[in-house]
Amino acid sequence: MLKILIPSMFMLLTTWTSPFKQLWSTILMYSFLVATLSLTWLAMPTDTGWFYINNYMAYDPLSSPLLVLTCWLLPLMIIASQNHLAEEPENRQRTYISLLISLQIFLILAFSATEMIMFYVMFEATLIPTLIIITRWGNQMERLNAGTYFLFYTLAGSLPLLVALLIYHSSMGSLSYLSLTSLPLTCSNLYANKLWWMACLLAFLVKMPLYGVHLWLPKAHVEAPIAGSMVLAAVLLKLGGYGMMRIMIILDPLTKELSYPFIILALWGVIMTGSICLRQTDLKSLIAYSSVSHMGLVAAGILIQTPWGFTGALILMIAHGLTSSALFCLANTNYERTHSRTIILARGLQMVLPLMATWWFLASLANLALPPLPNLMGEIMIITSLFNWSFYTLILTGLGTLITASYSLYMFLLTQRGPIPHHLILLEPSHTREHLLLALHLLPLLLLIAKPELVWGWTA
Amino acid sequence: MNPYILTILLFAMGLGTTITFASSHWLLAWMGLEINTLAILPLMCQSHHPRAVEATIKYFLTQATAAAMLLFASITNAWITGQWNLEFMSYSLPTTLVTVALALKIGLAPLHAWMPEVLQGLDLTTGLILSTWQKLAPFCLLLQINPSNTSLLLILGLASTLVGGWGGLNQNQLRKILAYSSIAHLGWMILVLQFFPSLTLLTLLMYFVMTFSLFITFKVNNSTTINSLSMSWSKAPIISSMVPFILLSLGGLPPLSGFMPKWLILQELTKQSLAPLATLAALSALLSLYFYLRISYAMTLTMSPNILSNALPWRLPSNQHTLPLAITTSLTICLLPLTPAIITLLTL
Repeated sequence: MLKILIPSMFMLLTTWTSPFKQLWSTILMYSFLVATLSLTWLAMPTDTGWFYINNYMAYDPLSSPLLVLTCWLLPLMIIASQNHLAEEPENRQRTYISLLISLQIFLILAFSATEMIMFYVMFEATLIPTLIIITRWGNQMERLNAGTYFLFYTLAGSLPLLVALLIYHSSMGSLSYLSLTSLPLTCSNLYANKLWWMACLLAFLVKMPLYGVHLWLPKAHVEAPIAGSMVLAAVLLKLGGYGMMRIMIILDPLTKELSYPFIILALWGVIMTGSICLRQTDLKSLIAYSSVSHMGLVAAGILIQTPWGFTGALILMIAHGLTSSALFCLANTNYERTHSRTIILARGLQMVLPLMATWWFLASLANLALPPLPNLMGEIMIITSLFNWSFYTLILTGLGTLITASYSLYMFLLTQRGPIPHHLILLEPSHTREHLLLALHLLPLLLLIAKPELVWGWTA
Repeated sequence: MNPYILTILLFAMGLGTTITFASSHWLLAWMGLEINTLAILPLMCQSHHPRAVEATIKYFLTQATAAAMLLFASITNAWITGQWNLEFMSYSLPTTLVTVALALKIGLAPLHAWMPEVLQGLDLTTGLILSTWQKLAPFCLLLQINPSNTSLLLILGLASTLVGGWGGLNQNQLRKILAYSSIAHLGWMILVLQFFPSLTLLTLLMYFVMTFSLFITFKVNNSTTINSLSMSWSKAPIISSMVPFILLSLGGLPPLSGFMPKWLILQELTKQSLAPLATLAALSALLSLYFYLRISYAMTLTMSPNILSNALPWRLPSNQHTLPLAITTSLTICLLPLTPAIITLLTL
């Protein structure tokens, strides 16, 4: 664990001391090295149980896929940011890279934390670099509002979480993950216990996001620069899912009754945000609402609390992370050429950029959960576990799948097929860098078809 | 100001606070507070600007009222219990009256109305002294009396955090923002006073460090409104890049050191079964965070349009003393991992 964490910390030093001409190459190589080393976390000799590194950091089959995703994403973010940062002064480029690296350090510490308070502190710590990336390097005036919404929605949810964790700590004595399974809070039917249950979950539901508290997400994803959108969609939303999975252990048996409205809200959110996607004119906004839709399914899967639900949620989180990040990169290729996010402004691109159309095709197929991709595996496992709980959820989830397919196809057809608009007179050919970026996103996704056991978690 | 006069006044301020620290007799404590107040008054109106004189008079009147209430309470205590010792106040009337008097002295809600106006009339250095040094003596007294009225302190604390948050939302004058920030932080300190007094001291010292950084940053930029901060990115880029962290630390965001007092206070409150109060106090901190965020947007996270000669000024070595700023900024950002050491240090 420290083999990865200490090099990541020293990457900060490298950022500031590299010669400027070699900055991006050095950082890229360094982060790829760290990402390759992090793949060792996927090799777990036993299926359950923790791998202790020291008292404060550990990983298990639940956190290791997310850790690998985090480490894998940093080189991808570096590749994606190279173009739009090229004209900035030297120190600002170094600052931007430092923010990305510090985000990775906090995320590694969050996913490998063995104690809930450490997880909480790192969960909150990821807010600061993300806020600075969105508000400082976003491109439109609305980015300030986006940063405020992002910070305050997340904090309003997580401050009650802090109090709830401290309540649990004062009555049970320990918040270490290792002992959580044996210390569920003794449940009397007081109203206060229900409030405590709510306080524990609200932070993660806001982060995921659940449909009613999702307003920060379209703003933050749209206004962020490409690296910000990538890390938000791929990893930061999964912090919410991961935290929810960890804390579910102590929330029994209240969850059996209290989770009803949230499961239904999540499923309704899948349909509502999917429908909104069909009416979007802004490409990034479409992908952002698609993220809300997928994460609604994840939230429902976690709240169901069955082994298939958890497994499906984890697989969907990993697959959605890669897919959503790939879609944001594709949207960014459009943005860098036309400096606009409006979909209809850059249509029929298959004629102009045929190789990019391949990536659009694969990413759209992944988004609509085509078999045999892991997206489908996650969705089917969640839908099955929901069906097992109640037959009627099939209406909602089936409709959700249909709408997801519709808007993914809509997005693909609108951007790639059809006639080229007359005003497009100069579009740069695709850079090799962009092809590399998308290949690195989609190749792990395709490889996961062969061995999904790597991302199953400890329940299946 | 004449350096001799300045020396005498600063020494007198130090003397007053030290007398209060060292005293166990109420009259001596009161005397120290009065010396402190009288010594800072010439410092406050040294510029002879009508605004400064108005601030000085408001400060004098409120502090004199508070000191008179304090004297009255201590005499009542002496009459009832027959002794003048600070620590042995056992009747609720004198204790409550002392608490309210000290609340007026430091500017807790609902006795906070003088604070923004007084701070607005002062220059930044004197404002810094008012926000930091002047709070030491009253807190010393608050820590020593045994407060008998649980709910009074909790009401003062919660009201202060809410007033400090809401009051600062509509301000664009930096000194008023700093006043409301001071009120909010004092509220947090009072919340935990009766349960774990060391945390009050910890919060006070952390607040001193953070607000020192902020005051000196504003002084280096010579700015008193939010709009005038927007030019600082070209003149002092490194200070500008550190300011969001100072402000977010004041707002209590992990992993910065400002999170430490809030975390420990929330922990203590939940141990005392005051969880709803803890939640309310935590959420009221979000109000203050909004205006801290606004300042950091204006200063660092947006770059206002600049003519070329402003954007590329000569960065000459500064004549200001920025070493204390560097030290307190580092402490404001990096102190959270040392929490166990700091608690041990302060619980001795």
